[in-house]
Amino acid sequence: MNPLIFTTILMTVLLGTMIVMMSSHWLMIWIGFEMNLLAIIPILMKKYNPRTMEASTKYFLTQATASMLLMMAIIINLMHSGQWTITKVFNPTASIIMTSALAMKLGLTPFHFWVPEVTQGISLTSGLILLTWQKLAPMSILYQISPSINLNILLTMAVLSILVGGWGGLNQTQLRKIMAYSSIAHMGWMTAVLVYNPTLTMLNMLIYIMMTLTMFMLFIHSSSTTTLSLSHTWNKTPLITTLILITLLSMGGLPPLSGFMPKWMIIQELTKNSSIILPTLMAIMALLNLYFYMRLTYSTSLTMFPSTNNMKMKWQFETKRITLLPPLIVMSSLLLPLTPMLSILD
Amino acid sequence: MMTYIVFILSVIFVVSFVGFSSKPSPIYGGLVLIVSGGVGCGIIMNFGGSFLGLMVFLIYLGGMLVVFGYTTAMATEQYPEVWVSNTTVMGVFLLGLLMEVMLVLYVLKGEEVGVVFKFSGVGDWAIYDTGDSGVFSEEIMGVAALYSYGAWVVIVTGWSLLVGVLVILEVTRGD
Repeated sequence: MNPLIFTTILMTVLLGTMIVMMSSHWLMIWIGFEMNLLAIIPILMKKYNPRTMEASTKYFLTQATASMLLMMAIIINLMHSGQWTITKVFNPTASIIMTSALAMKLGLTPFHFWVPEVTQGISLTSGLILLTWQKLAPMSILYQISPSINLNILLTMAVLSILVGGWGGLNQTQLRKIMAYSSIAHMGWMTAVLVYNPTLTMLNMLIYIMMTLTMFMLFIHSSSTTTLSLSHTWNKTPLITTLILITLLSMGGLPPLSGFMPKWMIIQELTKNSSIILPTLMAIMALLNLYFYMRLTYSTSLTMFPSTNNMKMKWQFETKRITLLPPLIVMSSLLLPLTPMLSILD
Repeated sequence: MMTYIVFILSVIFVVSFVGFSSKPSPIYGGLVLIVSGGVGCGIIMNFGGSFLGLMVFLIYLGGMLVVFGYTTAMATEQYPEVWVSNTTVMGVFLLGLLMEVMLVLYVLKGEEVGVVFKFSGVGDWAIYDTGDSGVFSEEIMGVAALYSYGAWVVIVTGWSLLVGVLVILEVTRGD
C-alpha cells in the first residue's frame, strides 16, 4: 500500500478511538466508532487474497450491526431523557441494547463467533491491532456507562465468554485462533468485574494488552502462525523460546508473573461483594485457558516437537526488527511485586 | 389525515427501506431510494425544516443519487433482479412488510402516534441566539450553529468522508 495512504488510514484508526474515548456527546461517540471501523478495513485487507477479504467482510458486517444497535440505544436514551450527554443510560431497554452492542464490538459470548474467523484470516500485524487497539474504544464506553448496566446480562455474558474462550481454544493449533480465544476469555474476565470495580477492568485491559502485544511480537519475530512452526524456534533463537514460555505462562495467570495480578484483584473484588460461586467458577474455567497455553509452551520450549529433519531449520526472509520487545517482555512478566501501587488508583 | 401525515410518511419511508434492503438489483434500490428521499423530505418539512428538505432533494437526490444511477447503469446485468423474480428477495421483502404492519398496529393500538421528546431542561447546551427579534426559522439557525459552535463536528465528519473515499479506493484497487 502507498505509505502515505497507509499512514493516513492508520492515523484515522487512532483518531476514531480517541474521539470515542474523549467525547461527551453520544453522536460523536457513534461517529468515532464508524470512523474506526471504516479505516481499519484496508488495514485488515493488507494482502489481497480471498481469505483476508472474507475476514474483513465478516468484521465489517458484525461491527456495523453493533453500531446500528448502539445508535438505536442512543436514540431510545434520547427519547427517555431528552439529552445527549454520557452520564448514565436512563432507560433499562436502552441499557440492555447498548450493552449488547458493545459486547458485539468486543467479541463477548454470544457474539464471539467472528473473533477466531477474522483473526485467522488476516496477517499477524493486523491481528495484533484487531485484538488490542480495537478493544479500547468499546471498553471505555462500558466503563462510562457502568453504573447503569444490567448486572445479570453482563455477568452472564462474562461467564459464558470465559467458558467459550477456554473450551474453544482447546482444539486449536493455529496461533492466531488461539490468541482469538484467549482474547474472548480475557474480555470475559474484564467485564465480570465491571459493575463492581471498573478500575480493575482498566487494569486487566492494560495488562492484557501488554501480554497480547508481547505474544504477537514474539510470533512476528519467529514468523510463525502454527504450533508446528512455533516449535522450531529453538533452532533459530533459543532466547525467544524461553521468552515465549514466560509470556504464555503469564497469560495463563500463574502467580509469580504479572498476569496473575488482574485475576487476583478481580477474584478479591468479587468475593468482597459476597459472590463466592462466581469467582470460583471463573478461576476453574481459566484452567482451560492455562491448558492450551501450557500445551504451546510444552511443544515450543520444553520439548523438541516431532518433525521431519529437513524442517528443523527455519527459513524466513530476513530477521524482523521488532520494536520494544524487551520492555514489553519485562512488563508482561515482572509486574506482580508492584501490586501495592494499585492503592494510588483510589 | 393531516394530523397523521408524519406517521403515514414515516411508514412509507420504512417500507421503501425494506424495499431496498431485500436486495433487488441496485437500479431498483435506487428507485426506492428516490421514493424514500422524497418522503423523508416531506417528514422533515412537516417539522418546519424547509431548508433541510430542499437540501435532501438537491444534494442527495439530485447529486449523489444521479451519480449512483449512472454508475449502476454502467455496471448492470442483462436480467436484473426485481422483488418478485427471486424467492429469497420476495420472502425478505414480505417479512419486512409484515414486521412493519405489526409495528404500525402496535403503535396505533396504543393511540399515541406522535413520539414526544421529554425535554428535561437545557442543561449545558449553548443557547445560540442571533440577537435580533422577529420571526426566524429555527432549523436554519441550527445549520448556522453547526458551522460556528459545532466546528469540531464539521471537521470530524469532513475527515470521515475523506477517509471514506481513501478507504474505498484502497479496497477496490486490488493488487
